[in-house]
Amino acid sequence: MPPALDELVEELREADRQERIELLIDLANDLPPLPDRLSQKKDEEHRVPECQSPVFLFLEREGPRVHLFADVPPEAPTVRGFVCLLVRGLDGASVEDVLSVPNDLIQRSGMAELLGMQRTAGLSGVLYRLKAMVARTEATSEPDQAPER
Amino acid sequence: MAEYAHPEILVSADWVEQHRDDPRVRIVESDEDILLYDMGHVPGAVKIDWQGDLQDQLIRDYIDAEKFAEICSRSGIANDTTVVFYGDKSNWWACYAFWAFKLFGHDDCRIMDGGRKLWIDQDRPLSKETPSYPRTDYTVKGSDPSAIRIFRDEVLAHQKAGKKLIDVRSPGEYTGELLHMPDYPQEGSLRAGHIPGAKSVPWSRAVNEDGTFKSADELKAIFEQEAGLNSADEVVAYCRIGERSSLTWFVLTYLLGYPKVRNYDGSWTEWGNLVGVPVARGSE
Repeated sequence: MPPALDELVEELREADRQERIELLIDLANDLPPLPDRLSQKKDEEHRVPECQSPVFLFLEREGPRVHLFADVPPEAPTVRGFVCLLVRGLDGASVEDVLSVPNDLIQRSGMAELLGMQRTAGLSGVLYRLKAMVARTEATSEPDQAPER
Repeated sequence: MAEYAHPEILVSADWVEQHRDDPRVRIVESDEDILLYDMGHVPGAVKIDWQGDLQDQLIRDYIDAEKFAEICSRSGIANDTTVVFYGDKSNWWACYAFWAFKLFGHDDCRIMDGGRKLWIDQDRPLSKETPSYPRTDYTVKGSDPSAIRIFRDEVLAHQKAGKKLIDVRSPGEYTGELLHMPDYPQEGSLRAGHIPGAKSVPWSRAVNEDGTFKSADELKAIFEQEAGLNSADEVVAYCRIGERSSLTWFVLTYLLGYPKVRNYDGSWTEWGNLVGVPVARGSE
């Protein structure tokens, strides 16, 4: 896991219940707004369908590095907090780094314990969606490779 | 214009502001999003979580009477307290908590119309302080949960008898187009579709953009003219895990005054995994 993400996850993991709530609220408040060039593109293609709330994820490549941007409504602070964790922890990471983020990140960070079983589903959706997007840019950015059969 | 059948059950934000310090009233926030209460709530409100507080953490059921009494006692709720629920998502979870309180026979439950969203949109005061109230000695009165809750075998008998069912999930879930939500291992079902005979009325149709409930006339148009319900009907409402359908149960029971409405909390996560029960696909 990239060190920035590792640090955030570790901080959450070590926190008690109330501290976790506060850390997540801080993260939710810290999610940077979408840059203007992306705010026009909030369409179904960029929407995370697993989330009840309208959550949009964007990815930009800069050589081997990825940059993440997201839009999450303020009424869904838990999703905002989790998305901000990913944006802060993975911005500038390599494609491999993103793809190797453990799928049980929500469990590892102790968030699952806080949220309970039924609330973690939408959040897992964000992570899977992000990985799928990164994998797709990887496939399209290397046209020399033989197309998948 | 028709009135709600039990208008006193729905209280306004103004009423809540006037009764914030009334010791006979307890305001309870119940949200889908677990962070919202700590980011600011109606001053004096306590938080009761539908999942962490009201559901058993081991078996799929509600907590027992003893634990329920403890939640009420620690929240300063006595047997004769007026409990007003409000929350996010147009009071979806507030209705779920309301329903759970009724399972345990709490007498005086209300919903704050418009929920959290309207309160904030109207720039009413918010507090980050978690209040504490003198402990009460709450006793769970024996109530009859079967009046508002239904289990799978009874749902099957209800369906076979051709009685009314309302499916409040999204249209895609109802028709079975959404076979399962990708990566939703905990909420998946092996079969998609709906209980045969169920009418599709997505829960959100009962509420306005601002989070308030639609008028009695509008609700009648939806549930009676469109879905063919009649106040004398025995009705079962269901969704995926029984939360959205508790809002529909609330609407039919208290706003339209139907006396025989039950929530099937097993809902599609149970029905869609049961062996041998009938399932229908497409629209009806």
